[in-house]
Amino acid sequence: MNIATDPWVWIAAILTIAIFSFLYRENPFYRAAEHLYVGIANGYAITFYWHRILVPSLFDPVAHSPHFITKVWLIAIAIIGAFYFTRFIPKISWLVRIPIAILLGYGCGASIPRAVDAELIKQLQATIITRAHFAHWDTAAWAIIIFLGVIATVSYFFFSAERKGVIKPVSYIGVIFIMVGFGASFGYTVMARISLFIGRLQFLLGDWLGIIK
Amino acid sequence: MTPQDSAARPNLWTRLQAIDRRWIYLVIWIVVMVPLLFPFPIKPKPTTPVEKLFSYIDTMPAGKALVISVDFTPDTRAELQPMIVALLRHAFATGRPVGVLAMAVYGLGLGEEALSQVTAEFNAHATTHEDSVINGEDYVFWGWTTPPLTVMLGMGERIANVFPVDYYGARTESLPIMRDLRNYDDVGVLVTVAASAMPRSWIVYGQTQFGVHLGCGITAVSAADFYPYVNSGQFVGMLAGMKGAAEYEQLVMERMAKNKMDWGLRNRGTEAMSSQTSAHLAIMAFIIIGNIGYFATRRRKS
Repeated sequence: MNIATDPWVWIAAILTIAIFSFLYRENPFYRAAEHLYVGIANGYAITFYWHRILVPSLFDPVAHSPHFITKVWLIAIAIIGAFYFTRFIPKISWLVRIPIAILLGYGCGASIPRAVDAELIKQLQATIITRAHFAHWDTAAWAIIIFLGVIATVSYFFFSAERKGVIKPVSYIGVIFIMVGFGASFGYTVMARISLFIGRLQFLLGDWLGIIK
Repeated sequence: MTPQDSAARPNLWTRLQAIDRRWIYLVIWIVVMVPLLFPFPIKPKPTTPVEKLFSYIDTMPAGKALVISVDFTPDTRAELQPMIVALLRHAFATGRPVGVLAMAVYGLGLGEEALSQVTAEFNAHATTHEDSVINGEDYVFWGWTTPPLTVMLGMGERIANVFPVDYYGARTESLPIMRDLRNYDDVGVLVTVAASAMPRSWIVYGQTQFGVHLGCGITAVSAADFYPYVNSGQFVGMLAGMKGAAEYEQLVMERMAKNKMDWGLRNRGTEAMSSQTSAHLAIMAFIIIGNIGYFATRRRKS
């Protein structure tokens, strides 16, 4: 046993135990650790936004740029950005729509054409069965299963026709594919949560208490 | 005891249905902790998506860089940090230039921690300048900037414009590594290690417009969401959760042993696999017992 002497390791260990105490019941230690986390996370982010974004991209150029036009542009953009804070002043809160509109316009313009290509066209292409899939029996089998799975699942979400005739059994197969998907997601979720717990125990037993290597 | 009393008294299954969840937590705690104290060896067999990513990095043209985007926060460190460490070891063991950036501001410290650890491991065994792993020559840590959309699109034009200074405050353009690392054309593969939907953004903005090759390391929770992108070839490979990290660690260990770099390094992902396995067995037992109890009590009620 080789207990840590670093005070930061002790602080991290005590806070970890404080958070875990919630498993027993809600208590002031848990709440203190939770509030501390939120506060520190926000403070950390604000510091980095100030030093890495606002200072080099706004304050420094405004103060030192030799180009007057650059300064005007930056100040104008900063004022539009500051409109976000007007939502706290009811009389002029409508101004918040201006930066939101600019962001939405920019975001949609940049996203929509690329997202259609990446999320729809490429995914549709991946469901098409080609001759290359039949080079090996397993790739052929998976390609067919994916093709059937997509058709069956999409038919389950096809609400424009009554679910009878051929659509009924196909959509039922779609439900099976969806359930398999949910099962896979749940299994992975269990693995994820256990992994995080293992990480904390590795820290407590190893870095803090020195019981394990 | 009358027959009515016997019927009213809850049996084992009924009591199990109403068990205090804190007992479950205690069992999981023990089941995870005991294998950490008394580990039994488990050697994870690499799955296809992990092998694909490893092979891609292993065989990409000389001079092409591996870029790692740290897109997660400390809450998922246990799952994702071993991936970064393994990727860095692989890159340095095969002499690849490395660029690291963070899309999450909280990922900065994690990226720095992984770089410090792995460079120290390699430099401890270096005897010449060529063997050493040097900041600015063999790797660059660009740091963080925002918004992600601008970063992803901007890196396709010129990386030095997006990150004028690196994490340590040096002018990016002045670094020797940046002479051959101008934009996505010089990137062999960009691996996004994320606990969010960021890998999807990399596909939409980085890949669709500029054609950069992508890989991903993601938390197990989101693994099912990203398999379609591996199937479509949009990701060259994928590491899913701590198990994915452990599989990659195995492949890197083999590669390093081949390169005579068998230094006995710790592999956090692999070390966790015995606890992971026993916890999974316990949860499977809970699910089976819970279902038997549910059907037994339902039959009793009917």
